[in-house]
Amino acid sequence: MAVLPMQRMELCALKTDRKKILEMLQRRGVVEVNDGSQADDVFRKKDTAPAQVVLKKGVAVSQEALEILNRYAPESKSLFATLEGRTITTVENYDSFAEQRESVLQLAYHLGALAGEVEESRSEIPKLTIQMEALAPWESFELPLDFSGTKKTAAFIGILPPGTTQEILEEQLRSAGEDAVSAEVVSSSPEETYVMILCMRTAAHAVEEQLRELGYAKPSVIPSLPPAEQLRELQKNIEKLTQKAQRAQDEIKSHSDARETLKFMLDYYTMRLEKYEVISHLIESRKTFLLTGYIPIRDTAALEEELSQKFPIAVKFEMPGEDEDVPVLLSNNGFSAPVESVVESYSLPGKGEVDPTAVMSIFYYVLFGMMLSDAAYGALLAGICGFCILRFKNMEKGMLNTLKMFFFCGLSTVFWGVLFGSYFGDVVDVVSKTFFGTHLTIPPVWFAPLSQPMRMLMFCFVIGLVHLFTGLGMNLYQLARAKKYKDVLYDVIFWYILLISLIVLLMGQQIFANISGFSIALPATVSSAVSLIAIAAAIGIILTGGRESKNWFKRILKGLYGLYNITGYLSDVLSYSRLLALGLATSVIATVINQMGSMVGNSVMGVVAFIVIFLLGHTMNIGINMLGAYVHTNRLQYVEFFGKFYTGGGQKFRPFAVNTKYFKFREDHKNG
Amino acid sequence: MDKMGIVFALFGAVLAALMAGIGSARGVGLAGEAAAGVVTEDPGKFGKVLVLQLLPGTQGIYGLLIAFITLSQIGVLGGSAQISLAKGLLYFFACLPMAIVGYGSAIGQARASVASIGLIAKRPEQFGKAMIFPAMVETYAILALLVSILSIFGIGGINV
Repeated sequence: MAVLPMQRMELCALKTDRKKILEMLQRRGVVEVNDGSQADDVFRKKDTAPAQVVLKKGVAVSQEALEILNRYAPESKSLFATLEGRTITTVENYDSFAEQRESVLQLAYHLGALAGEVEESRSEIPKLTIQMEALAPWESFELPLDFSGTKKTAAFIGILPPGTTQEILEEQLRSAGEDAVSAEVVSSSPEETYVMILCMRTAAHAVEEQLRELGYAKPSVIPSLPPAEQLRELQKNIEKLTQKAQRAQDEIKSHSDARETLKFMLDYYTMRLEKYEVISHLIESRKTFLLTGYIPIRDTAALEEELSQKFPIAVKFEMPGEDEDVPVLLSNNGFSAPVESVVESYSLPGKGEVDPTAVMSIFYYVLFGMMLSDAAYGALLAGICGFCILRFKNMEKGMLNTLKMFFFCGLSTVFWGVLFGSYFGDVVDVVSKTFFGTHLTIPPVWFAPLSQPMRMLMFCFVIGLVHLFTGLGMNLYQLARAKKYKDVLYDVIFWYILLISLIVLLMGQQIFANISGFSIALPATVSSAVSLIAIAAAIGIILTGGRESKNWFKRILKGLYGLYNITGYLSDVLSYSRLLALGLATSVIATVINQMGSMVGNSVMGVVAFIVIFLLGHTMNIGINMLGAYVHTNRLQYVEFFGKFYTGGGQKFRPFAVNTKYFKFREDHKNG
Repeated sequence: MDKMGIVFALFGAVLAALMAGIGSARGVGLAGEAAAGVVTEDPGKFGKVLVLQLLPGTQGIYGLLIAFITLSQIGVLGGSAQISLAKGLLYFFACLPMAIVGYGSAIGQARASVASIGLIAKRPEQFGKAMIFPAMVETYAILALLVSILSIFGIGGINV
């Protein structure tokens, strides 16, 4: 029910036992190791950086190998895989893994190489394809493209602009004065014409000039083989590469049974890496080492007993000093623990602050339920969460807590839904009217907010006031615990008096009676007495609100500003109108869905349409409104409630533990 | 002229659904672009950024809510649709807070959401806080919703 008290721990033991002691501590997961004592002549820090580099590489290689396996042989995962938690294994498995580590590592490297081969082959193929495309127009040409002629003749093989025919070409070349020219169009496309021109060696130069004027260019790819042959060669190469990629891929697939071993290796390296990080915090003499850290008091006895039974050690526990930044670990009962994560995502309690989880959890469930406020939705939510909790025993702790939180939220939703008479909106009314011609309705146990929104609004404000006053009360408790009794009077009691007397006065007003529909007639004497009390409290706040200032003028100004905070309370209370708004949103949308469903009428088609619209619509409505309820419950807690007493800022307790991804050890279930 | 009552009332209802809906559509779109950007870098953050993306979507729902309540109050969804001009105008004005604030707050909330999505991209552990910034904007949509709801329910009892 609170922040767990911590102790500093100092452990001195023989270096020969270091591995075993650290592994044991890691499995227990109750000690946060940190830099304690300074190094001196006898005790030195050990440089573990080189070892850590090796281990980090191991982690990276295993991860990469797993990714490769998942890419080419995806793992078939069940829908509930996230609920199933890590596989349980034994310590013996871990110890014996060292023997096969080398071979698994080799396999991981091999997988990496195979994946590289696949990539390489695949990137090579497009290059060859481009070459083939460039050669395709020359396919019918029998000479190699770098053929330059015979002893007496010169040959020009190349590309001319489109539309050039043999006749035009020969004519143009002859008109330049060369008679002995033969031109052959090998093939032509809309973009280019592929030609070979033969002429006498003596005329080669003139012909080349002429050709250049016509836009002649050499082929982009000039292989030494004749084009047709080269094309066959390229085709063969492409096939070879495809086969190579396929073989590599098949081989990767054939190793898919190594997935579990690779996962194990990833965890193995992760654990060892963590161990070495801890070792870097230790200081060592020649034969011994010294470990310092924090440990929750509840775990000290058990740990000390276990350690001293197995190893020769010297261990000392002491209360941390006043100015020490002790890490925070929360501990709550099964009802409140699920919302610890909500507190944590705001901030953990700072120095001298109480753990707000227990008080907050009650409000959390109540507020969530009021916002979702439909009995059937709540029952579904609680049912699904409850089923998952019972079905998947091995679930991770974080997931379990989330499900538990929504389970309790669901129960609260059922409660409010029954009070307000909402079951899938008004599905009973609609179904009975549309399909059975009667009019059935489940009456609300209390009242229906949709027909009496003002009453509901008042109720929301009451809930808000209770919530805010509880926040103030927490502040009171916190200040009293720190023995700041003056602050209790100035910062809490004055506000209590002022707010309560203002509320009493407000309830006597006509305007309040108009809004809420009921009035409390206060006798004149009472109301003037209450006014006096309110004024006294206000003066008290003005005088004390700025008490840290020495200057009286400044102090009064600050006090006035403090009193201005009353508007803050007004807006805080108004903020609870979201309970009404979100509650109405749920039931109105549900009503719209039901109405849409019933529009087809009472026929077979009508029933089918109703079921389809009902399922789709309500699924969507649950989703949207759960999100809304979740976000706004958090907001009310963080802004309105925590604003009254809580700042947070504590460091999370991060014990040296088994933080693996796939496996956990049977020996100790607390490490999850 | 007396028949114009229902016209104004319906116009108000439609306006609430329209403007709040457009605001939410733009807002969710804006936040969606930012969210998709984060997911390209780290698909694991999908769940978190999705929640942030959906936050500016509630205004559209509130608009629908107001539109629906108005429609059922003025008898468009069955019942008699006899409304005086004055009453029709009253319904019209009652719908305005949700229409206008709904539009504006959805856009404002979307901008806060986009910023929060950026926050998640860099510091995913700060999800709780990232969620609060857009939720602060929504308060004003809720207040507008409240005024619209209370007005609409109140108008039913006025005899004009």
